[in-house]
Amino acid sequence: MMADELVNVTIDGLPVSVPKGTTIIEAAKMAGILVPHYCYHPSLSSPAVCRMCLVEVEKAPKLMPACVTQVAEGQVVNVDNEKAKKAREGVLELLLINHPLDCPICDQAGECELQNYVFQEGRAGTRYTEYPKRYSPVEDFGPDVLYVPNRCILCTRCVRFMEEVAEEPVLNVSERGDRAYIGIAAEQLLDHPWSGNVVDLCPVGSLISKDFLHKARAWDLDKTASVCPGCTQGCNITIDTRDDVVVRLRPRPNLEVNRHFMCDYGRMNYRWMNRGDRIEAPLIREGTRHMATDWDTALDRMGQLLRGISGPAAILATGRASTESLGLVRRMLSRLSVTAVVQVPTGEEAPLAGVPNLALRAERAANLAGAELLGYQADWEEGLRALPAAGLVIVLDADLSQSEQAMIAAAPASVVVMSTILPEGLRNAELVLPITTMAEENGTYVNRDHRIQRYNQAKSQPGMARPAWWIAGEVIAGPGPSPSAPATAAEAFELLGEGWPIFSGISYADMGYTGLVLGESSDARRERQPADLGAQ
Amino acid sequence: MSGAGQQGQVPAKQVEAAGQEHASAHGGHDTQTAPYERVFKRERLARLDQLFTKYPTKQACLLPALWMVQEARGWISEPAIGEVAEVLDLTPAYVKGVVTFYTMYHTHPVGRHFIQVCTTSPCNICGAEDVVKALLVATGCGELGATSPDGRFTVIEVECLGACGFVTPVLIDDDFIESVTPENVPGILQRYQ
Amino acid sequence: MGYPHPSHPKENPVLSKHFGDPEARSFDGWVKRGGYEGLRKVLRMSPEAVIEEIKTSGLRGRGGAGFPTGLKWSLMPKPDGRPHYLVCNADESEPGTFKDREIMRWTPHQLLEGCAIAAYAIQAERCYIYIRGEFTDPFQIMQQAVEEATAKGALGDNLLGSGKRIEVILHRGAGAYICGEETAMLNSIEGKRGNPRIKPPYPAQAGLFGMPTTINNVETLAAVPHIVIRGGEWYKGLSLSNPKSTGTKLISVCGHIQRPGNYEVTMGTPMKELIYDMCGGMRPGRTLKAVIPGGSSVPIMSAAEADECLLDYEGVVAKGSMLGSAGMIVMDDSTDMVYQIWRLARFYAHESCAQCTQCREGTAWSTRILERILAGKGKQEHFQLLLDLSDNMTGKTICVLSDSCAAPIVSGIQKFRHEFEAYIQGARVPAMAAV
Repeated sequence: MMADELVNVTIDGLPVSVPKGTTIIEAAKMAGILVPHYCYHPSLSSPAVCRMCLVEVEKAPKLMPACVTQVAEGQVVNVDNEKAKKAREGVLELLLINHPLDCPICDQAGECELQNYVFQEGRAGTRYTEYPKRYSPVEDFGPDVLYVPNRCILCTRCVRFMEEVAEEPVLNVSERGDRAYIGIAAEQLLDHPWSGNVVDLCPVGSLISKDFLHKARAWDLDKTASVCPGCTQGCNITIDTRDDVVVRLRPRPNLEVNRHFMCDYGRMNYRWMNRGDRIEAPLIREGTRHMATDWDTALDRMGQLLRGISGPAAILATGRASTESLGLVRRMLSRLSVTAVVQVPTGEEAPLAGVPNLALRAERAANLAGAELLGYQADWEEGLRALPAAGLVIVLDADLSQSEQAMIAAAPASVVVMSTILPEGLRNAELVLPITTMAEENGTYVNRDHRIQRYNQAKSQPGMARPAWWIAGEVIAGPGPSPSAPATAAEAFELLGEGWPIFSGISYADMGYTGLVLGESSDARRERQPADLGAQ
Repeated sequence: MSGAGQQGQVPAKQVEAAGQEHASAHGGHDTQTAPYERVFKRERLARLDQLFTKYPTKQACLLPALWMVQEARGWISEPAIGEVAEVLDLTPAYVKGVVTFYTMYHTHPVGRHFIQVCTTSPCNICGAEDVVKALLVATGCGELGATSPDGRFTVIEVECLGACGFVTPVLIDDDFIESVTPENVPGILQRYQ
Repeated sequence: MGYPHPSHPKENPVLSKHFGDPEARSFDGWVKRGGYEGLRKVLRMSPEAVIEEIKTSGLRGRGGAGFPTGLKWSLMPKPDGRPHYLVCNADESEPGTFKDREIMRWTPHQLLEGCAIAAYAIQAERCYIYIRGEFTDPFQIMQQAVEEATAKGALGDNLLGSGKRIEVILHRGAGAYICGEETAMLNSIEGKRGNPRIKPPYPAQAGLFGMPTTINNVETLAAVPHIVIRGGEWYKGLSLSNPKSTGTKLISVCGHIQRPGNYEVTMGTPMKELIYDMCGGMRPGRTLKAVIPGGSSVPIMSAAEADECLLDYEGVVAKGSMLGSAGMIVMDDSTDMVYQIWRLARFYAHESCAQCTQCREGTAWSTRILERILAGKGKQEHFQLLLDLSDNMTGKTICVLSDSCAAPIVSGIQKFRHEFEAYIQGARVPAMAAV
């Protein structure tokens, strides 16, 4: 890829040099120009059927589809001139003639590519006034997907996704001409573990999610770049919130990890982010009761506890804890001998056949790799075995069964709960410190390929909750004003390099929005990123 | 709705009425109440195996396989689509997408004798529509796409049959009949019981 | 010849010489009539030499595109281990065209010999003949002919003792005009929906099953044995007007004409000679109003234009239309032009494969507008709307089906506007009920 021949073209007056073989639509992206399109998608084949991307190529007799026409040396392309605009206006008019005036009730409104292009360059009014529009009832493709045939523009992205990427051709184009629609085999369900992606791929509101149906308007949503906390794959996602409630997760493009997709398990697994039964304030045990207190008092008490401990410590951590939190909590106990374990629930693996190295992983712990790099083991039993001998047990938001809670409660150790939800069986814990979920903080996860990726705060911290790394940082810095304690996740991350060299020399800025592979040199990284060209 | 796309489609109520009892001219077909019987057994399975030698992929045998089903049963049902998918290593959705593309495959039962009349312009200007009217009356179908009450006939309009010099051409089952006029319609229909 | 009519002296029956003669159907009958001599000769030539002969002849694709056949064959790459394929386009569905059916049902061996020679020239061992599903008789006749030819060694593993192998496989279509488009045909043979493919890649590079493929029309291939036997120069010499249009063409004359049928004429024959001399002219009391010369996908010609038109590729273009498949639809003064244009639009709307937005929606919308006009609900704005739609449907799609829908509409409005006006202004009784 390094020695690629470059081709020089001019697009709407802007010169750009791109590798030989690049399509005009991708070359235009590199020049910062969006060629309007529907059926084209960088992760699917290009059938060139929507005809929206027709551009003028000087000296060519007809308008050329930008999605399949390769650049040629010296080519002059016009995307925004009269001819191309008129052609687009024509396509839009034709797409609208049978399209229902559903915008007021259609989920896609506000993030609809038909709306967008029509507002940009469609006709102001319709000429299709004398005829009934084509009508078919809504179909339930199940389990989560509804198909609204009236809105369908037959771009066939959904059919191609199921065929080429999921490699399970369960959708088809049925019939012919203007009677065509997307069909599914009789008695078949769209239940492939990655089928939810067809809803994202659909440019209009034809394939919609039942889970999101009528929940929120796109323009009411705040969108935050994040990483899926579901498994060790580390798909990049966007968390959509409305009035501080997470209403939807969507995949975010990362050509190195998940291309443009996420699995249905990860997609639907967000309700826990909205739980209201959170620990509101730090709690100190006074006798048999927990008293709410302020952070200063709680942190002082933590410091006291640590100074008074002899004997080993045990950390029982959730697999969803951030690298920063896992690292600093460990450092907080550096004086002690520690058994640190990370919880890894398992489930069935579900690969996305058409994309290399992409699957819903059996290990449902987003930061398993990060935890292991920080000296945590995935052996949960080992952690439980360490309980009787431990002087201090820190429960770092682990999801504990009744019997596990009983074991911890029965152990002679002092128990500190640093969690989001207070386990019922740990009412004798010395200290209960409310922490944020990954949706309420900045942080990083390391995925199974040792790619460290940032996630951002999508909703506000409830009550007095703080990130676990902040708590540990403050405890480490000691009482009183502590300028050395990290104030941001980025600062917390930079502290990790001291104890764990694999994290040294990297900053949040280096990770950007698509992460980087730990231990890889920047040269190797450049070589490995051919497909990034033209990526968002 | 306009005429575009109405050809070959049978109104749902007619399907229900016509579906159950009628055997097509091609010899026996599965009703909607009896359990599905496989098409590709013995002789037809042997023919299918022969077919595999003519094409480098199983997928390419799809159109010929669908013809074999229609020859055997008179139409292509959902279970048949499933069977074809199975023997060709395709998915039912894929097969269905192909079946619904090509207008000669029936996806529901039709009359014992299926009548296709060309009414595209060359035949149209030479009286094809009168032939259609005559057929609708003589068969008792009354309207296009409907099956006659005695289950004998279904009449549809089709596009150019490629015999424009021999107006009006009519396809009845596999018989390509040239020069049909309103006058010779009754005589022609006699041959089809 | 204009079967079922006897050959007219002004015809030049090369391909159609034996139409109507049942004996010509059998292998022996065909051999008696000079059959398979061409194949015998070709087996002693190099494939390149065969291609040269076809190039010399000036033979052009008879399915409608008129692309030089010798050139098309020479675009096949040098054999590199990948199988080459020949596909014979016998999907004949262009309204007005009915010549390929005649070639297949009267002279199946003429076609088979042409296929064998072509396959030899492009170094293919397999030839698929795609016959439309409705051609039940021609399919059976071709099937029998293939069996006979194989039994007699003219097809199969050891062609006439040459050691060469050419297999012909008949593939039955299932009712889709669009499968006559060459790349849609390839998809149909592969067991897919008959969607045309984007080009590039061209079939010669990546065609059937991704392999180098040449697709030729029935009439084109039927001419090949004659060219091989009588020489490319002879064929080239059959040209009455433009030297770029050589040989004979089967014109399928239909509609309002005394003697409809297939007429084989030398390229450059005046259209009025065909209509009035060979076909017997109009029905009693009628005058010519319009001619659609190339199958319905070409602009409609007025009677005046037809009067001065020469029947070859360039001649028809000079009069504002195209020779196409030469399915000549003759319309006299009894014809309701608006109604027939509507009927053609309805045809295209029915046959659209649904890939391209302009074709899928535009053909249907155009049909609806024409229905409004015919129902007496037409408006002046409909003219501009139809022309705008036609402009959208031209030059912007993967294949030319939508262009073909636009052609009768644009030329119809251009040359028969008064008929549209009559409906719009209520001067004419509506031809259909409003929907």
